[in-house]
Amino acid sequence: METIVVEQLSKAYQETQAVDCISLAVERGEVLGVLGANGAGKSTLLECILGVRRPDSGKVSILGMNPVRDRKALFQRVGVQFQESRYQEKITVGELCAVTRSLYRSPADSEGLLSRFGLAGKQKCQVSGLSGGEKQRLSIVLALLPNPEVLFLDELTTGLDPRGRREVWKCISGLKQEGLTILLVSHFMDEVEALCDRICILNKGRTIFAGTVGEAIAASPFTHFEDAYLWYTDEEERQYESV
Amino acid sequence: MRVFRVMFGMEWKLAVRGMDMVIFAVAMPVAVMIVLGMIYGDRPAYAGASYSFVEQSFGAVTAVAIAASGLMGLPLVVADYRSRKILKRFKVTPVSPVLILLVQMLVNLLMSLIALVLVYIVGAVCFGLRVEGSWVLFMGAFLLVAASVYSIGMLVGAVSPNIKISNLLCCVLYFPMLLFSGATIPYEVMPGALRRAADVLPLAQGIKLLKTASLGLPADHMLLPLAVTAGIAAVCGSIAIRFFRWE
Repeated sequence: METIVVEQLSKAYQETQAVDCISLAVERGEVLGVLGANGAGKSTLLECILGVRRPDSGKVSILGMNPVRDRKALFQRVGVQFQESRYQEKITVGELCAVTRSLYRSPADSEGLLSRFGLAGKQKCQVSGLSGGEKQRLSIVLALLPNPEVLFLDELTTGLDPRGRREVWKCISGLKQEGLTILLVSHFMDEVEALCDRICILNKGRTIFAGTVGEAIAASPFTHFEDAYLWYTDEEERQYESV
Repeated sequence: MRVFRVMFGMEWKLAVRGMDMVIFAVAMPVAVMIVLGMIYGDRPAYAGASYSFVEQSFGAVTAVAIAASGLMGLPLVVADYRSRKILKRFKVTPVSPVLILLVQMLVNLLMSLIALVLVYIVGAVCFGLRVEGSWVLFMGAFLLVAASVYSIGMLVGAVSPNIKISNLLCCVLYFPMLLFSGATIPYEVMPGALRRAADVLPLAQGIKLLKTASLGLPADHMLLPLAVTAGIAAVCGSIAIRFFRWE
């Protein structure tokens, strides 16, 4: 069953076509990685899928619902982690969890999630005093508080040190094993390689590759995913130049 | 309703912890009351007046709290929550981001109501303040003036693209209204030219309503202040709703 379906989504800002006729589908329990350089249209795509931004054309359905029209019902079952989330000044971890839980009908237990993500005992700490890694893990905890069936993760490990990134990856792998459907937006090859069942490479708002990491490597002249990725994006440039 | 209660409790706690509004919206009007009381004591408002200068100033001093919470507290918190993307994040929850704006309006209103109570207690206990007029009318006027000033604040918060601009707009609105609308420097001691200038400020009109209600004066000249105060609430409120920027 397809949990997230995007059909021919387009969004332009003045002159630039940020998202250009993108279609994708994520199966239940699958992790899809949306990959691309800065400015490739990843964030705009995510915002259009979530209904935060209105697309110029195209259709989106999550769990069979329209994210704009069915917002209240849909977001009882969907968790979202935004890039570099900032919270109220002077709010503590415990307070932020409590107020987030209050938004949902059957929220998860925050203590359990906090300890699972290495934040046990931080309840009384102010969020602003947490380290970068702790903040990032807290943003995942908050996205999981609705007890979601679908999870959206935007630039999950930007700004984390190698150890911090590994810890977060381990958490996400665990969630995947529990059957969560995840759409992950990233510009890190290793992250996508480690976590995603399938990937979708964006360049200038268009999908230039869709498939598994293995397929991406096989279809390129290279043996490493990072080289293959660069080859795909360069290939695109070459085609542009020859037109 | 449960969400509203939890969120109100949280935002209230944060507002108290932040101290800004405790100082500017609560402590400041109480301090103004004490200073006016120390200067004028129980002297009558003018020779032969049936009420004291302090009684005459009561309504104006409570407006200090409305101005601080409405022209500083409210717009700054809205701009801050927008720049932290807190408003945007609410759009991917089952709850409307409008809720947090309503919560913030109530948090600020509660601050100014606490200031009102404290100003009255200080005035009554230390300087013999009595409200001769109707409390019901006074509270009505207080809420109307709050609605009017908060709608100006909401408009600033709604359209400011960033915190710097909302800060600037807040200062431009707040300080002149604080000093020249009669909230701190009594309208009655201003020279004629300054009074005419003050009359242009919306808060000065609101203060006329508050004074008339608290002193129990005849309300025959109150049509203009009433129209200005209600009109601003309606106009600024609608523009704020129409042009509100969530991010």
